[in-house]
Amino acid sequence: MATMIPSIGEKRGKQIVYTIEECLSCGEKTKRTFTVGDYVYKGNGQCKKCGGNIYITMIYAEPIKPTE
Amino acid sequence: MIPLEAGPGQFGDNTLYLLLFYLPFLLFLFYGQRIQAFMILGEVSRALGKLKVMREKSRKEVIDYLVNHLKPKSDPQEQVDQLLEYFTIMPVDLDPAGIVRKIEHVVTVRNERIRSEIKRLASESDMIKVSTAENILEAASSINYIYKLVRHFYLLGKKTSNIYILLQLQMIMPMVLQEADALVNALDAFKQSQPIGDGIGPMVVGRMMLNLEKTEISRDTLLAKTEYKGRTLYLIKATGPGGNVGEPGTAVEKLINEMGVKINAVIMIDAALKLEGEKTGEIAEGVGAAIGGIGVDRFKIEEVATKYNIPLYAVVIKQSLIDAISVMRKEVAESAEKVIKIVYRLIEEKTQPSDNVLIVGVGNTLGVAQ
Repeated sequence: MATMIPSIGEKRGKQIVYTIEECLSCGEKTKRTFTVGDYVYKGNGQCKKCGGNIYITMIYAEPIKPTE
Repeated sequence: MIPLEAGPGQFGDNTLYLLLFYLPFLLFLFYGQRIQAFMILGEVSRALGKLKVMREKSRKEVIDYLVNHLKPKSDPQEQVDQLLEYFTIMPVDLDPAGIVRKIEHVVTVRNERIRSEIKRLASESDMIKVSTAENILEAASSINYIYKLVRHFYLLGKKTSNIYILLQLQMIMPMVLQEADALVNALDAFKQSQPIGDGIGPMVVGRMMLNLEKTEISRDTLLAKTEYKGRTLYLIKATGPGGNVGEPGTAVEKLINEMGVKINAVIMIDAALKLEGEKTGEIAEGVGAAIGGIGVDRFKIEEVATKYNIPLYAVVIKQSLIDAISVMRKEVAESAEKVIKIVYRLIEEKTQPSDNVLIVGVGNTLGVAQ
C-alpha cells in the first residue's frame, strides 16, 4: 500500500541552482550559480592552488531564504 | 417537559417555523446526493481547469524547446500533438509465460519510434538535446494523459449523475494535482539539463568511473573497469549527460552471459521514493535488485543473479516524488560521497580479494556525465 502511495513531497518554492566545482587533488571547492551548459563531472580547468584537475562535482537546488 | 414555544399561539401559528425547521431535512433527504454531487462537480471542475492550464503549459514547453534547440525544418505543432497522443499497447497477459520479453520488445519499439520522430523533426543531431526533448515530451505526455483521464471521469460522473465516481475523483484529486505539478516542475530541470533527484545512482557510479576507459555495453549504457583492494570492479551507468536511463538489465545480462565475466556480487544504487516522515537524502541498505521502471530490467537482473547464485546488494537514497523528478536537492547531492563510502565498505565486507564486483548506478543521468 505504502509503495503505491509514496510521499509526493512538499511543493517547492523559489530556488537557486548552484554548481559546485572541486579540485580532485586538494579538495578545494567553489560554489557558484548554475549556468546553462554545466553538468556534473564536466572538466573545468586546473586548480590555481595545486594544479590538479577541477571538475563540477555537484549541481543542486537550494530554496531562496527570505531576507530579514 | 418543556413546551416548545416558538410563537405566540399554538401549532397553527408555528407552521412557518416548523416549515423552516423541517424543510432543510426534507431537502437533504430527497436532494442530498444531488447537492453533494453539484458541490463535488464544482470542485473537480476547478481542478480540471488547473490541469488544463498545466497541459497547455507543458505542450508549449515541448514546442518551444524543439523550436529553440533543435531547429525543426517546419512547424512542429502538429507533430508534437501527435506525439503527445502516442500510445503503447502492452502485450496480452492471459498466458503470462514469456511476457517480460514481449513487454521489452514493445517498449523498445516505442522508445526507438519516439526518438526517431524527434530526430526527424530536428535539423540538429545533438544526442543530448534529442534525449532532453524526449524527457520533456514524456513529462508533457504524462500531464496530457492525467488531464484526459480526470476529464473522462468528470464527464462520466456528470453524465450519469453517479456520485460515487465523482466522490472517488474528488478524494484522489489533491494527489493527482500534486503529481501533475511535480511533472510541470520537472520540465524546468529537463529544459536546462540540470541533474534530477533520480540521477543520484548514476552520479555515484559516474564519480567512480571518472577518467576510466568506457565502452558502450548496451543502448545508452556504459561499462568501465577498475581495481579496488585486489577486487575487479565493473561499473555500469547510463550514458550522460543526456537524459538517459539506459538498459542496465541488458547490460548486466550481457556482461555475465555473453562476455562470461564471473561476478561474485552485484551492488545496485538507486533513488527510492520515501514515505511521509522519512528524511530526504536518507541512505538505506538492503538486498535485491534496486531498480524501478516497468520491470523488464529488474527481471533480467534477478534472472541472471539467480542463475549464477550472485548476491544482490542495494543502496537507496530516499526522496519524494517531486524531489525525484525535480532539480536535485542539496541533501541528495551531498549523500553521493556517503554512498561511495558505503559501496566500498560493502565491497570489503562481502567480497574477497580477486573477486569480481558489479556496481550499477540506476536512474536518469540527465546532467550527469562520467
